[in-house]
Amino acid sequence: MKDFQIDRQARGNVQLVRLSGSLDMYSFPRLETQLATLFQQGQYRVVLDCADLDYIGSAGLGALIGFAKQAREHGGDVKLLNVPERIYKIIELLGFTKVLQVHSAEESAVESFATK
Amino acid sequence: MNASKGISVGCTGNQVYVRVIGRGTFQNGQPLRGFALEMIDRGYKEFVVDLAQCQGMDSTFLGVLAGIGLRLRQNGNHGKVHILNINSSNMELLQTLGLDRLFSVDAGLMDVGKNPPPPETGFRRLPDSDVDVLGKPLKKNETTDLMLEAHDDLVRCDDRNAPKFKDLTKFLREKIERRNTDDKKTDGGTKP
Repeated sequence: MKDFQIDRQARGNVQLVRLSGSLDMYSFPRLETQLATLFQQGQYRVVLDCADLDYIGSAGLGALIGFAKQAREHGGDVKLLNVPERIYKIIELLGFTKVLQVHSAEESAVESFATK
Repeated sequence: MNASKGISVGCTGNQVYVRVIGRGTFQNGQPLRGFALEMIDRGYKEFVVDLAQCQGMDSTFLGVLAGIGLRLRQNGNHGKVHILNINSSNMELLQTLGLDRLFSVDAGLMDVGKNPPPPETGFRRLPDSDVDVLGKPLKKNETTDLMLEAHDDLVRCDDRNAPKFKDLTKFLREKIERRNTDDKKTDGGTKP
């Protein structure tokens, strides 16, 4: 099991946050802090790149809905990118894909904010 | 022991033994819940959960364990969940969710004199409990119901959990309500 890591970079006015390892109850507070910090800075347009994510827990998914809702209230959103098939199957099964936008290409994820 | 991943269970005396090998998640929480309810119905009042080989647990799985603990204490019963061989990160999760007050927790090795487990041959792996090799696809409605029940049980154990899971429980509750409404419509439409 890989350690959870977060790497952030700006793509224009969109924050691209790359996640790797396991996003579980133990590691989720780190992402929570990262997103809260971005929101405090007025950065409400966030793309979470999940390409190297090998696990996401149920509570983490639930909390992402809350962050997405909060971001939308400020004209932004939290979107998912490159979700591994194994994780995608789970979030689709649970209906999270109806409330969280999922993209398969970085460009489309970043550009989707411009078309809002 | 380097057993294959999954949930192994065995019974001895009045105790049920559960070994979590690998990760405990909402995916293998369902078979554990089904097994535990059956054992409680049969009169077992003590559950020993050995986490020596547990690599982590998600909130749904912890909620399933909480639900077992709550059921064992229903109606004035004095049953209990005993957690053994817990590592520091799993212990932190239990403490964060207030479950250390519901369970008895032992970070050390099992006291085999006091609580002898069944022999190795007495353990069996629950079907579909290896999250890396799930035998059959998860069922959407069952999984949604399990997740909501598990998180409601976490809130029942400690109301400080309510804000932590409010977004998830709200989402799941609304989903189930929509499903029930759709089911009623369908039933109404098919009645003569």
